[in-house]
Amino acid sequence: MLGKIIRNTKIIDGHFLLAVKLPQSFQTPMPGQFVMVREKGRLDPLLGRPFSVYTFARMENAVIVEILYKVVGKETSILSMLKRGVLLEIYGSYGSAFNITTNTKKVVLICGGIGIAPLTFLASHYWGLATGDIDVICYLGATGAAKLVGVARMEELCQGVFISTDDGSMGYHGTVTDLFARDVTSYDSSNASIYACGPRPMLKKLSEMLSMCALPCQVSLEERMACGVGACLGCSIETYDREGKSTYRRVCKDGPVFDIHDIIWK
Amino acid sequence: MNSNNVKNIPKMAVHIGGGLTIKNPVMAASGTFGYGEEYAPYYDINRVGAVIVKGVSLEPRAGNPPPRIMETPCGMLNAIGLENPGVKIFIKEKLPFLRQYTTAVIVNVFGETLDEYKRVVEIVSQTEGVHGLEINISCPNVKKGGIVFGTDPDMAYEITKEVKSATDLPVLVKLTPNVTDICVIAESVQAAGADAISLINTLTGMSVDIEQRIPHLANITGGLSGPAIKPIALRMVWQVAKKVTVPVIGVGGITSARDAMEFLMVGARAVQVGTAHFINPHAAVDIVDGMEKYFMEHNIRDVNEFIGTLHEGR
Repeated sequence: MLGKIIRNTKIIDGHFLLAVKLPQSFQTPMPGQFVMVREKGRLDPLLGRPFSVYTFARMENAVIVEILYKVVGKETSILSMLKRGVLLEIYGSYGSAFNITTNTKKVVLICGGIGIAPLTFLASHYWGLATGDIDVICYLGATGAAKLVGVARMEELCQGVFISTDDGSMGYHGTVTDLFARDVTSYDSSNASIYACGPRPMLKKLSEMLSMCALPCQVSLEERMACGVGACLGCSIETYDREGKSTYRRVCKDGPVFDIHDIIWK
Repeated sequence: MNSNNVKNIPKMAVHIGGGLTIKNPVMAASGTFGYGEEYAPYYDINRVGAVIVKGVSLEPRAGNPPPRIMETPCGMLNAIGLENPGVKIFIKEKLPFLRQYTTAVIVNVFGETLDEYKRVVEIVSQTEGVHGLEINISCPNVKKGGIVFGTDPDMAYEITKEVKSATDLPVLVKLTPNVTDICVIAESVQAAGADAISLINTLTGMSVDIEQRIPHLANITGGLSGPAIKPIALRMVWQVAKKVTVPVIGVGGITSARDAMEFLMVGARAVQVGTAHFINPHAAVDIVDGMEKYFMEHNIRDVNEFIGTLHEGR
Protein backbone atom coordinates (compact mmCIF):
# COMPACT_ATOMS: atom_id res chain seq x y z
CA MET A 1 0.00 0.00 0.00
CA LEU A 2 1.29 3.49 -0.83
CA GLY A 3 1.73 6.10 1.85
CA LYS A 4 2.96 9.65 1.67
CA ILE A 5 5.51 11.13 4.05
CA ILE A 6 3.99 14.09 5.84
CA ARG A 7 6.83 14.55 8.33
CA ASN A 8 10.29 13.03 8.82
CA THR A 9 12.00 14.97 11.58
CA LYS A 10 15.22 14.49 13.48
CA ILE A 11 14.42 14.21 17.18
CA ILE A 12 17.91 13.72 18.56
CA ASP A 13 21.17 12.64 16.98
CA GLY A 14 20.49 9.60 14.76
CA HIS A 15 16.81 9.31 15.73
CA PHE A 16 13.88 10.39 13.58
CA LEU A 17 10.12 10.58 13.81
CA LEU A 18 8.38 9.65 10.56
CA ALA A 19 4.70 10.37 9.94
CA VAL A 20 3.02 8.71 6.97
CA LYS A 21 -0.45 9.28 5.59
CA LEU A 22 -2.12 6.12 4.32
CA PRO A 23 -5.51 5.19 2.83
CA GLN A 24 -8.35 4.48 5.19
CA SER A 25 -8.24 0.80 4.28
CA PHE A 26 -4.98 0.46 6.22
CA GLN A 27 -5.55 -2.03 8.99
CA THR A 28 -5.52 -0.57 12.50
CA PRO A 29 -2.38 -1.76 14.31
CA MET A 30 -2.36 -2.98 17.89
CA PRO A 31 0.60 -2.19 20.18
CA GLY A 32 3.55 -4.46 19.36
CA GLN A 33 2.55 -4.96 15.73
CA PHE A 34 4.82 -3.68 12.98
CA VAL A 35 4.78 -2.41 9.42
CA MET A 36 7.18 -3.14 6.55
CA VAL A 37 8.46 0.08 4.99
CA ARG A 38 10.47 0.77 1.85
CA GLU A 39 10.84 3.61 -0.56
CA LYS A 40 8.58 3.10 -3.57
CA GLY A 41 10.37 1.46 -6.48
CA ARG A 42 13.79 1.23 -4.84
CA LEU A 43 15.67 -2.00 -5.59
CA ASP A 44 18.76 -1.32 -3.46
CA PRO A 45 18.23 -1.80 -0.60
CA LEU A 46 15.64 -4.25 -1.80
CA LEU A 47 13.68 -5.42 1.21
CA GLY A 48 11.34 -3.45 3.39
CA ARG A 49 12.33 -2.81 6.98
CA PRO A 50 10.13 -3.77 9.91
CA PHE A 51 9.25 -0.89 12.25
CA SER A 52 6.92 -1.08 15.22
CA VAL A 53 4.14 1.45 15.27
CA TYR A 54 4.73 4.45 17.55
CA THR A 55 1.38 6.19 17.18
CA PHE A 56 -1.68 5.63 15.04
CA ALA A 57 -4.54 7.98 14.23
CA ARG A 58 -7.60 7.31 12.13
CA MET A 59 -9.10 10.37 10.43
CA GLU A 60 -12.16 10.72 8.24
CA ASN A 61 -10.41 9.99 4.95
CA ALA A 62 -7.01 8.67 5.89
CA VAL A 63 -4.86 7.22 8.64
CA ILE A 64 -1.58 8.52 10.02
CA VAL A 65 1.08 6.11 11.20
CA GLU A 66 4.04 7.44 13.14
CA ILE A 67 7.30 5.53 13.34
CA LEU A 68 10.10 6.42 15.74
CA TYR A 69 13.33 5.03 14.32
CA LYS A 70 17.06 4.98 14.80
CA VAL A 71 19.50 5.13 11.90
CA VAL A 72 21.45 1.88 12.02
CA GLY A 73 22.28 1.00 8.42
CA LYS A 74 21.93 1.83 4.77
CA GLU A 75 18.14 1.69 4.53
CA THR A 76 17.40 3.74 7.66
CA SER A 77 20.06 6.21 6.53
CA ILE A 78 18.30 6.63 3.17
CA LEU A 79 14.94 6.81 4.92
CA SER A 80 16.18 9.61 7.17
CA MET A 81 16.92 11.76 4.13
CA LEU A 82 13.47 11.44 2.54
CA LYS A 83 11.37 14.57 2.51
CA ARG A 84 7.70 15.34 2.86
CA GLY A 85 5.69 14.12 -0.14
CA VAL A 86 7.90 11.10 -0.93
CA LEU A 87 5.94 7.87 -1.46
CA LEU A 88 6.63 4.83 0.68
CA GLU A 89 5.38 1.29 0.23
CA ILE A 90 3.97 0.21 3.56
CA TYR A 91 2.50 -3.17 4.39
CA GLY A 92 0.90 -4.20 7.63
CA SER A 93 -0.14 -4.31 10.27
CA TYR A 94 1.88 -7.47 10.74
CA GLY A 95 2.70 -9.80 13.61
CA SER A 96 1.42 -10.45 17.09
CA ALA A 97 0.44 -7.71 19.54
CA PHE A 98 1.08 -7.27 23.24
CA ASN A 99 -1.55 -8.90 25.36
CA ILE A 100 -3.32 -6.03 27.12
CA THR A 101 -4.97 -6.91 30.42
CA THR A 102 -7.26 -5.00 32.73
CA ASN A 103 -6.66 -7.68 35.33
CA THR A 104 -3.57 -5.97 36.71
CA LYS A 105 -2.68 -3.13 39.02
CA LYS A 106 0.75 -2.25 37.69
CA VAL A 107 1.98 -2.18 34.13
CA VAL A 108 5.76 -2.05 33.98
CA LEU A 109 7.47 -0.99 30.76
CA ILE A 110 11.20 -1.66 30.40
CA CYS A 111 12.69 0.14 27.42
CA GLY A 112 16.22 0.00 26.08
CA GLY A 113 17.01 2.78 23.60
CA ILE A 114 14.74 2.75 20.55
CA GLY A 115 12.83 -0.11 22.21
CA ILE A 116 10.72 2.69 23.65
CA ALA A 117 8.75 2.90 20.36
CA PRO A 118 6.32 -0.05 20.68
CA LEU A 119 6.07 0.42 24.46
CA THR A 120 4.94 4.03 24.01
CA PHE A 121 2.11 2.81 21.75
CA LEU A 122 1.27 0.25 24.44
CA ALA A 123 1.31 2.94 27.14
CA SER A 124 -1.13 5.02 25.09
CA HIS A 125 -3.51 2.04 24.92
CA TYR A 126 -3.39 1.61 28.69
CA TRP A 127 -3.94 5.36 28.98
CA GLY A 128 -6.99 4.97 26.71
CA LEU A 129 -8.44 2.28 28.95
CA ALA A 130 -8.79 5.01 31.58
CA THR A 131 -9.76 2.59 34.31
CA GLY A 132 -7.85 4.76 36.74
CA ASP A 133 -6.73 1.84 38.85
CA ILE A 134 -3.84 0.70 36.66
CA ASP A 135 -0.48 2.41 37.23
CA VAL A 136 1.86 2.45 34.26
CA ILE A 137 5.49 2.62 35.34
CA CYS A 138 8.32 3.04 32.84
CA TYR A 139 12.00 2.19 33.18
CA LEU A 140 13.95 3.82 30.43
CA GLY A 141 17.59 3.17 29.58
CA ALA A 142 20.02 4.69 27.10
CA THR A 143 23.78 4.85 26.67
CA GLY A 144 23.79 8.53 27.66
CA ALA A 145 21.53 11.53 28.24
CA ALA A 146 21.98 12.68 24.64
CA LYS A 147 20.63 9.34 23.39
CA LEU A 148 17.40 9.39 25.38
CA VAL A 149 14.50 9.57 22.97
CA GLY A 150 10.75 9.86 23.47
CA VAL A 151 10.90 10.70 27.19
CA ALA A 152 8.38 13.55 27.17
CA ARG A 153 5.63 11.51 25.54
CA MET A 154 6.26 8.62 27.91
CA GLU A 155 6.00 10.98 30.87
CA GLU A 156 2.58 12.11 29.66
CA LEU A 157 1.36 8.52 29.54
CA CYS A 158 2.90 7.05 32.70
CA GLN A 159 2.51 7.51 36.43
CA GLY A 160 6.27 7.19 36.84
CA VAL A 161 9.28 7.27 34.51
CA PHE A 162 12.67 6.15 35.85
CA ILE A 163 15.74 6.82 33.76
CA SER A 164 19.10 5.09 33.60
CA THR A 165 22.16 5.87 31.49
CA ASP A 166 25.18 3.67 30.95
CA ASP A 167 27.53 6.66 31.44
CA GLY A 168 25.63 8.18 34.35
CA SER A 169 24.94 11.42 32.48
CA MET A 170 21.30 11.29 33.58
CA GLY A 171 19.35 9.36 36.19
CA TYR A 172 20.62 6.06 37.54
CA HIS A 173 24.20 5.23 36.53
CA GLY A 174 23.98 1.77 35.00
CA THR A 175 21.77 -0.36 32.83
CA VAL A 176 17.99 -0.29 32.80
CA THR A 177 17.89 -3.88 33.98
CA ASP A 178 20.00 -2.97 37.01
CA LEU A 179 17.68 -0.07 37.72
CA PHE A 180 14.65 -2.32 37.50
CA ALA A 181 16.39 -4.97 39.62
CA ARG A 182 16.36 -2.58 42.59
CA ASP A 183 12.55 -2.46 42.46
CA VAL A 184 11.73 -5.94 41.23
CA THR A 185 10.75 -7.24 44.66
CA SER A 186 8.09 -4.55 44.96
CA TYR A 187 6.13 -6.16 42.11
CA ASP A 188 4.41 -9.52 42.27
CA SER A 189 2.75 -11.74 39.77
CA SER A 190 -0.74 -11.23 41.14
CA ASN A 191 -0.80 -7.53 40.29
CA ALA A 192 1.96 -6.61 37.87
CA SER A 193 2.58 -7.19 34.15
CA ILE A 194 5.96 -6.53 32.59
CA TYR A 195 6.57 -5.54 28.98
CA ALA A 196 10.06 -5.06 27.54
CA CYS A 197 11.75 -4.06 24.31
CA GLY A 198 15.41 -3.29 23.72
CA PRO A 199 18.73 -4.76 22.65
CA ARG A 200 19.11 -8.55 22.86
CA PRO A 201 21.66 -8.52 25.75
CA MET A 202 19.29 -6.39 27.84
CA LEU A 203 16.38 -8.77 27.25
CA LYS A 204 18.57 -11.77 28.00
CA LYS A 205 19.60 -10.24 31.33
CA LEU A 206 16.00 -9.43 32.13
CA SER A 207 15.02 -13.00 31.33
CA GLU A 208 17.64 -14.31 33.78
CA MET A 209 16.45 -11.91 36.47
CA LEU A 210 12.81 -12.85 35.99
CA SER A 211 13.52 -16.57 36.02
CA MET A 212 13.91 -16.17 39.80
CA CYS A 213 10.35 -14.88 40.22
CA ALA A 214 6.99 -15.52 38.61
CA LEU A 215 6.40 -12.08 37.09
CA PRO A 216 4.74 -12.35 33.66
CA CYS A 217 6.77 -10.62 30.95
CA GLN A 218 6.15 -10.07 27.26
CA VAL A 219 9.02 -8.97 25.04
CA SER A 220 9.06 -7.53 21.55
CA LEU A 221 11.92 -8.83 19.40
CA GLU A 222 13.64 -7.66 16.26
CA GLU A 223 15.21 -9.78 13.52
CA ARG A 224 16.34 -9.37 9.95
CA MET A 225 13.21 -10.07 7.90
CA ALA A 226 12.35 -10.55 4.26
CA CYS A 227 8.61 -11.13 3.85
CA GLY A 228 7.15 -10.06 7.21
CA VAL A 229 4.17 -12.40 6.77
CA GLY A 230 5.56 -15.78 7.80
CA ALA A 231 6.28 -17.21 4.37
CA CYS A 232 10.06 -17.05 3.95
CA LEU A 233 11.10 -18.40 7.38
CA GLY A 234 14.06 -16.01 7.32
CA CYS A 235 13.51 -14.49 10.77
CA SER A 236 13.17 -17.72 12.75
CA ILE A 237 14.62 -17.83 16.24
CA GLU A 238 15.10 -20.64 18.73
CA THR A 239 12.34 -20.97 21.29
CA TYR A 240 10.96 -23.55 23.71
CA ASP A 241 7.77 -25.35 22.75
CA ARG A 242 5.13 -26.46 25.27
CA GLU A 243 7.15 -29.51 26.21
CA GLY A 244 10.30 -27.45 26.69
CA LYS A 245 11.91 -28.68 23.49
CA SER A 246 13.73 -26.33 21.15
CA THR A 247 11.72 -25.21 18.14
CA TYR A 248 12.07 -22.41 15.59
CA ARG A 249 9.47 -19.67 15.61
CA ARG A 250 9.07 -16.79 13.17
CA VAL A 251 9.58 -13.36 14.71
CA CYS A 252 7.35 -11.82 12.02
CA LYS A 253 4.34 -14.10 12.36
CA ASP A 254 4.58 -15.98 15.67
CA GLY A 255 5.99 -12.76 17.18
CA PRO A 256 7.36 -10.13 17.39
CA VAL A 257 5.78 -10.29 20.87
CA PHE A 258 6.75 -13.40 22.85
CA ASP A 259 6.64 -14.59 26.43
CA ILE A 260 10.17 -13.84 27.68
CA HIS A 261 10.56 -17.38 29.03
CA ASP A 262 9.77 -18.96 25.64
CA ILE A 263 12.95 -17.55 24.11
CA ILE A 264 16.23 -19.44 24.06
CA TRP A 265 18.62 -16.54 24.56
CA LYS A 266 22.00 -16.92 22.90
CA MET B 1 -18.05 -4.77 -19.59
CA ASN B 2 -18.95 -4.18 -23.26
CA SER B 3 -18.31 -6.59 -26.09
CA ASN B 4 -15.34 -4.57 -27.30
CA ASN B 5 -13.48 -5.11 -24.07
CA VAL B 6 -14.29 -8.80 -23.97
CA LYS B 7 -12.87 -9.16 -27.44
CA ASN B 8 -9.64 -7.43 -26.41
CA ILE B 9 -8.92 -9.41 -23.27
CA PRO B 10 -5.94 -11.55 -24.23
CA LYS B 11 -5.93 -15.29 -23.84
CA MET B 12 -3.46 -16.02 -21.07
CA ALA B 13 -3.59 -19.82 -20.69
CA VAL B 14 -0.39 -21.73 -21.38
CA HIS B 15 0.48 -25.42 -21.56
CA ILE B 16 3.42 -26.14 -19.29
CA GLY B 17 4.00 -29.76 -20.18
CA GLY B 18 2.65 -33.20 -19.32
CA GLY B 19 -0.86 -32.13 -20.31
CA LEU B 20 -1.03 -29.41 -17.65
CA THR B 21 -2.49 -26.12 -18.83
CA ILE B 22 -2.53 -23.22 -16.38
CA LYS B 23 -4.82 -20.18 -16.61
CA ASN B 24 -1.99 -17.70 -17.00
CA PRO B 25 1.80 -17.89 -17.17
CA VAL B 26 2.52 -16.48 -13.70
CA MET B 27 3.24 -18.82 -10.82
CA ALA B 28 4.30 -18.29 -7.23
CA ALA B 29 7.79 -19.73 -6.79
CA SER B 30 8.55 -22.40 -4.23
CA GLY B 31 9.91 -21.25 -0.89
CA THR B 32 8.64 -17.72 -1.22
CA PHE B 33 4.94 -18.37 -0.90
CA GLY B 34 4.71 -20.81 2.00
CA TYR B 35 1.69 -23.05 1.47
CA GLY B 36 -0.50 -20.21 0.26
CA GLU B 37 -2.08 -19.26 3.58
CA GLU B 38 0.41 -16.51 4.38
CA TYR B 39 -0.41 -14.55 1.21
CA ALA B 40 -4.13 -15.35 0.94
CA PRO B 41 -5.03 -12.14 2.85
CA TYR B 42 -3.24 -10.03 0.23
CA TYR B 43 -4.61 -11.38 -3.04
CA ASP B 44 -6.98 -13.83 -4.57
CA ILE B 45 -4.86 -16.91 -5.23
CA ASN B 46 -7.23 -17.74 -8.11
CA ARG B 47 -5.62 -14.88 -10.05
CA VAL B 48 -2.28 -16.67 -10.55
CA GLY B 49 -1.57 -19.57 -12.88
CA ALA B 50 -0.10 -21.90 -10.30
CA VAL B 51 1.19 -22.03 -6.77
CA ILE B 52 4.37 -23.99 -6.20
CA VAL B 53 4.41 -24.82 -2.53
CA LYS B 54 7.44 -24.71 -0.29
CA GLY B 55 9.67 -27.77 -0.75
CA VAL B 56 8.46 -30.94 0.94
CA SER B 57 10.64 -33.79 2.20
CA LEU B 58 9.85 -37.24 3.56
CA GLU B 59 10.50 -36.31 7.18
CA PRO B 60 10.07 -32.93 8.92
CA ARG B 61 13.12 -30.65 8.77
CA ALA B 62 13.88 -27.98 11.37
CA GLY B 63 15.99 -25.92 8.98
CA ASN B 64 19.24 -24.05 9.57
CA PRO B 65 20.15 -22.04 12.67
CA PRO B 66 19.71 -18.26 12.41
CA PRO B 67 20.75 -15.84 11.00
CA ARG B 68 19.18 -17.28 7.87
CA ILE B 69 18.99 -14.27 5.57
CA MET B 70 21.13 -11.32 4.58
CA GLU B 71 20.28 -8.55 2.19
CA THR B 72 22.76 -7.77 -0.59
CA PRO B 73 22.57 -5.14 -3.33
CA CYS B 74 19.29 -5.65 -5.27
CA GLY B 75 18.92 -9.09 -3.75
CA MET B 76 19.16 -11.31 -0.72
CA LEU B 77 20.97 -14.41 0.46
CA ASN B 78 19.02 -17.14 2.19
CA ALA B 79 20.00 -20.30 3.98
CA ILE B 80 16.67 -21.41 5.42
CA GLY B 81 17.74 -25.03 5.18
CA LEU B 82 14.53 -26.30 3.58
CA GLU B 83 12.56 -26.16 6.82
CA ASN B 84 9.26 -27.98 6.30
CA PRO B 85 6.82 -30.13 8.27
CA GLY B 86 7.37 -33.25 6.13
CA VAL B 87 5.09 -34.74 3.49
CA LYS B 88 2.54 -36.31 5.85
CA ILE B 89 1.79 -33.12 7.77
CA PHE B 90 1.89 -31.15 4.52
CA ILE B 91 -0.88 -33.30 3.06
CA LYS B 92 -2.93 -33.33 6.25
CA GLU B 93 -2.58 -29.72 7.39
CA LYS B 94 -1.36 -27.54 4.53
CA LEU B 95 -2.75 -28.90 1.27
CA PRO B 96 -6.50 -28.75 2.16
CA PHE B 97 -6.31 -24.94 2.25
CA LEU B 98 -5.12 -24.78 -1.37
CA ARG B 99 -7.85 -27.12 -2.62
CA GLN B 100 -10.43 -24.34 -2.34
CA TYR B 101 -8.81 -22.55 -5.30
CA THR B 102 -9.04 -23.27 -9.01
CA THR B 103 -5.36 -22.45 -9.40
CA ALA B 104 -3.02 -25.34 -10.17
CA VAL B 105 -1.10 -26.65 -7.16
CA ILE B 106 2.40 -27.85 -7.90
CA VAL B 107 4.25 -29.58 -5.09
CA ASN B 108 7.97 -28.95 -4.86
CA VAL B 109 9.80 -32.08 -3.72
CA PHE B 110 13.33 -32.62 -2.46
CA GLY B 111 15.36 -35.29 -0.72
CA GLU B 112 18.81 -36.44 0.20
CA THR B 113 18.70 -39.79 -1.57
CA LEU B 114 17.06 -41.11 -4.73
CA ASP B 115 14.82 -43.27 -2.61
CA GLU B 116 13.67 -40.33 -0.52
CA TYR B 117 12.65 -38.33 -3.59
CA LYS B 118 10.80 -41.35 -4.95
CA ARG B 119 8.89 -41.99 -1.74
CA VAL B 120 7.76 -38.37 -1.40
CA VAL B 121 6.66 -38.37 -5.04
CA GLU B 122 4.69 -41.60 -4.55
CA ILE B 123 2.89 -40.23 -1.49
CA VAL B 124 2.07 -36.88 -3.12
CA SER B 125 0.90 -38.59 -6.32
CA GLN B 126 -1.76 -40.52 -4.41
CA THR B 127 -3.18 -37.28 -3.03
CA GLU B 128 -6.11 -35.32 -4.42
CA GLY B 129 -5.70 -31.69 -5.36
CA VAL B 130 -2.15 -31.84 -6.71
CA HIS B 131 -1.71 -30.91 -10.38
CA GLY B 132 2.00 -31.30 -10.82
CA LEU B 133 5.37 -31.83 -9.21
CA GLU B 134 8.47 -29.71 -9.26
CA ILE B 135 11.64 -31.57 -8.40
CA ASN B 136 14.30 -29.55 -6.64
CA ILE B 137 17.56 -31.17 -7.70
CA SER B 138 19.76 -28.52 -6.03
CA CYS B 139 20.26 -30.78 -2.99
CA PRO B 140 23.32 -32.80 -2.04
CA ASN B 141 23.12 -36.54 -2.63
CA VAL B 142 24.25 -37.90 0.74
CA LYS B 143 24.97 -41.30 -0.80
CA LYS B 144 27.33 -39.79 -3.36
CA GLY B 145 29.57 -37.78 -1.05
CA GLY B 146 27.28 -34.76 -1.03
CA ILE B 147 27.51 -33.94 -4.73
CA VAL B 148 24.49 -31.86 -5.69
CA PHE B 149 22.15 -33.95 -7.87
CA GLY B 150 21.64 -31.12 -10.32
CA THR B 151 25.33 -30.49 -10.98
CA ASP B 152 25.98 -33.90 -12.48
CA PRO B 153 24.24 -34.81 -15.78
CA ASP B 154 24.09 -38.52 -14.90
CA MET B 155 22.65 -37.95 -11.42
CA ALA B 156 20.18 -35.43 -12.84
CA TYR B 157 19.13 -38.01 -15.44
CA GLU B 158 18.79 -40.76 -12.87
CA ILE B 159 16.68 -38.77 -10.45
CA THR B 160 14.33 -37.54 -13.18
CA LYS B 161 13.91 -41.10 -14.44
CA GLU B 162 13.16 -42.39 -10.93
CA VAL B 163 10.62 -39.67 -10.26
CA LYS B 164 8.91 -40.13 -13.60
CA SER B 165 8.54 -43.84 -12.98
CA ALA B 166 6.89 -43.13 -9.63
CA THR B 167 4.15 -40.74 -10.80
CA ASP B 168 1.60 -39.95 -13.47
CA LEU B 169 1.64 -36.24 -12.60
CA PRO B 170 3.44 -33.74 -14.84
CA VAL B 171 7.02 -33.34 -13.63
CA LEU B 172 8.89 -30.04 -13.72
CA VAL B 173 12.59 -30.34 -12.93
CA LYS B 174 14.09 -27.22 -11.33
CA LEU B 175 17.70 -26.66 -12.26
CA THR B 176 20.51 -25.15 -10.25
CA PRO B 177 22.54 -22.42 -12.00
CA ASN B 178 25.68 -23.41 -10.08
CA VAL B 179 27.03 -25.46 -12.99
CA THR B 180 29.44 -24.92 -15.86
CA ASP B 181 26.93 -25.56 -18.65
CA ILE B 182 23.27 -25.59 -17.69
CA CYS B 183 22.26 -26.81 -21.18
CA VAL B 184 23.95 -30.16 -20.56
CA ILE B 185 21.83 -30.70 -17.43
CA ALA B 186 18.68 -29.49 -19.21
CA GLU B 187 19.18 -31.94 -22.08
CA SER B 188 19.86 -34.70 -19.60
CA VAL B 189 16.62 -34.22 -17.65
CA GLN B 190 14.68 -33.89 -20.89
CA ALA B 191 16.12 -37.21 -22.09
CA ALA B 192 15.03 -38.76 -18.78
CA GLY B 193 11.44 -37.70 -19.40
CA ALA B 194 11.00 -34.33 -17.63
CA ASP B 195 7.74 -32.72 -18.77
CA ALA B 196 9.10 -29.22 -18.21
CA ILE B 197 12.22 -27.51 -16.93
CA SER B 198 12.18 -24.61 -14.49
CA LEU B 199 15.24 -22.46 -13.97
CA ILE B 200 17.01 -20.99 -12.14
CA ASN B 201 17.26 -21.86 -8.49
CA THR B 202 19.37 -19.48 -6.40
CA LEU B 203 23.05 -18.78 -7.06
CA THR B 204 25.31 -19.72 -4.16
CA GLY B 205 26.74 -16.61 -2.52
CA MET B 206 28.27 -15.22 0.65
CA SER B 207 28.47 -12.06 2.73
CA VAL B 208 30.85 -11.15 5.56
CA ASP B 209 30.65 -8.91 8.62
CA ILE B 210 34.14 -7.40 8.64
CA GLU B 211 33.83 -5.93 12.15
CA GLN B 212 33.02 -9.23 13.79
CA ARG B 213 35.00 -11.23 11.20
CA ILE B 214 32.14 -13.67 10.72
CA PRO B 215 29.89 -14.62 7.82
CA HIS B 216 26.51 -12.92 7.95
CA LEU B 217 24.76 -16.29 7.63
CA ALA B 218 25.11 -19.04 10.24
CA ASN B 219 25.32 -21.47 7.31
CA ILE B 220 28.21 -19.35 5.90
CA THR B 221 26.87 -19.54 2.32
CA GLY B 222 23.37 -18.99 1.02
CA GLY B 223 21.31 -18.74 -2.14
CA LEU B 224 21.20 -15.38 -3.89
CA SER B 225 17.83 -14.28 -5.25
CA GLY B 226 16.10 -11.08 -6.30
CA PRO B 227 16.60 -8.58 -9.14
CA ALA B 228 20.40 -8.99 -8.86
CA ILE B 229 20.20 -12.43 -10.51
CA LYS B 230 17.69 -11.60 -13.25
CA PRO B 231 20.19 -11.07 -16.10
CA ILE B 232 21.83 -14.42 -15.33
CA ALA B 233 18.49 -16.22 -15.13
CA LEU B 234 17.35 -14.64 -18.37
CA ARG B 235 20.53 -15.66 -20.17
CA MET B 236 20.23 -19.24 -18.93
CA VAL B 237 16.54 -19.49 -19.88
CA TRP B 238 17.37 -18.19 -23.35
CA GLN B 239 20.15 -20.78 -23.72
CA VAL B 240 18.05 -23.69 -22.47
CA ALA B 241 14.92 -22.75 -24.43
CA LYS B 242 16.93 -23.07 -27.63
CA LYS B 243 18.25 -26.50 -26.68
CA VAL B 244 15.17 -28.35 -25.44
CA THR B 245 11.71 -29.01 -26.81
CA VAL B 246 9.85 -29.31 -23.48
CA PRO B 247 8.39 -26.13 -21.94
CA VAL B 248 10.84 -23.96 -20.04
CA ILE B 249 9.72 -21.98 -17.00
CA GLY B 250 11.70 -18.83 -16.17
CA VAL B 251 12.60 -18.02 -12.58
CA GLY B 252 15.00 -15.48 -11.12
CA GLY B 253 14.55 -11.90 -9.97
CA ILE B 254 11.24 -11.26 -11.74
CA THR B 255 9.74 -8.18 -10.08
CA SER B 256 7.58 -6.54 -12.75
CA ALA B 257 5.42 -7.43 -15.75
CA ARG B 258 8.20 -6.20 -18.03
CA ASP B 259 10.67 -8.56 -16.32
CA ALA B 260 8.24 -11.45 -16.84
CA MET B 261 7.76 -10.55 -20.50
CA GLU B 262 11.51 -10.58 -21.09
CA PHE B 263 11.53 -14.21 -19.99
CA LEU B 264 8.56 -15.10 -22.20
CA MET B 265 10.19 -13.37 -25.14
CA VAL B 266 13.39 -15.43 -24.85
CA GLY B 267 11.33 -18.60 -24.85
CA ALA B 268 9.92 -19.26 -21.37
CA ARG B 269 6.42 -20.73 -21.48
CA ALA B 270 5.69 -19.36 -18.02
CA VAL B 271 7.45 -17.61 -15.17
CA GLN B 272 7.70 -17.89 -11.41
CA VAL B 273 7.63 -14.92 -9.07
CA GLY B 274 9.58 -15.39 -5.86
CA THR B 275 11.54 -12.81 -3.89
CA ALA B 276 9.33 -10.05 -5.34
CA HIS B 277 6.57 -11.27 -3.00
CA PHE B 278 8.69 -10.16 -0.06
CA ILE B 279 8.75 -6.55 -1.17
CA ASN B 280 5.21 -6.52 -2.53
CA PRO B 281 2.83 -9.20 -1.21
CA HIS B 282 0.67 -8.98 -4.35
CA ALA B 283 3.58 -8.99 -6.82
CA ALA B 284 2.36 -12.01 -8.81
CA VAL B 285 -1.10 -10.53 -9.40
CA ASP B 286 0.39 -7.14 -10.30
CA ILE B 287 2.49 -8.96 -12.91
CA VAL B 288 -0.56 -10.75 -14.38
CA ASP B 289 -2.41 -7.42 -14.56
CA GLY B 290 0.57 -5.60 -16.06
CA MET B 291 1.03 -8.25 -18.70
CA GLU B 292 -2.66 -8.25 -19.68
CA LYS B 293 -2.59 -4.48 -19.96
CA TYR B 294 0.50 -4.54 -22.15
CA PHE B 295 -1.01 -7.20 -24.44
CA MET B 296 -4.24 -5.23 -24.78
CA GLU B 297 -2.37 -2.03 -25.58
CA HIS B 298 -0.28 -3.85 -28.17
CA ASN B 299 -3.14 -5.83 -29.63
CA ILE B 300 -1.66 -9.19 -28.65
CA ARG B 301 -4.63 -11.56 -28.40
CA ASP B 302 -2.90 -14.60 -26.99
CA VAL B 303 0.16 -14.82 -24.75
CA ASN B 304 1.35 -17.74 -26.87
CA GLU B 305 1.81 -15.30 -29.78
CA PHE B 306 4.32 -13.44 -27.62
CA ILE B 307 6.38 -16.36 -26.31
CA GLY B 308 9.74 -16.89 -28.01
CA THR B 309 9.45 -13.89 -30.32
CA LEU B 310 12.89 -12.43 -29.64
CA HIS B 311 14.66 -11.04 -32.72
CA GLU B 312 18.29 -11.92 -32.26
CA GLY B 313 19.56 -10.19 -35.36
CA ARG B 314 20.10 -6.44 -35.46
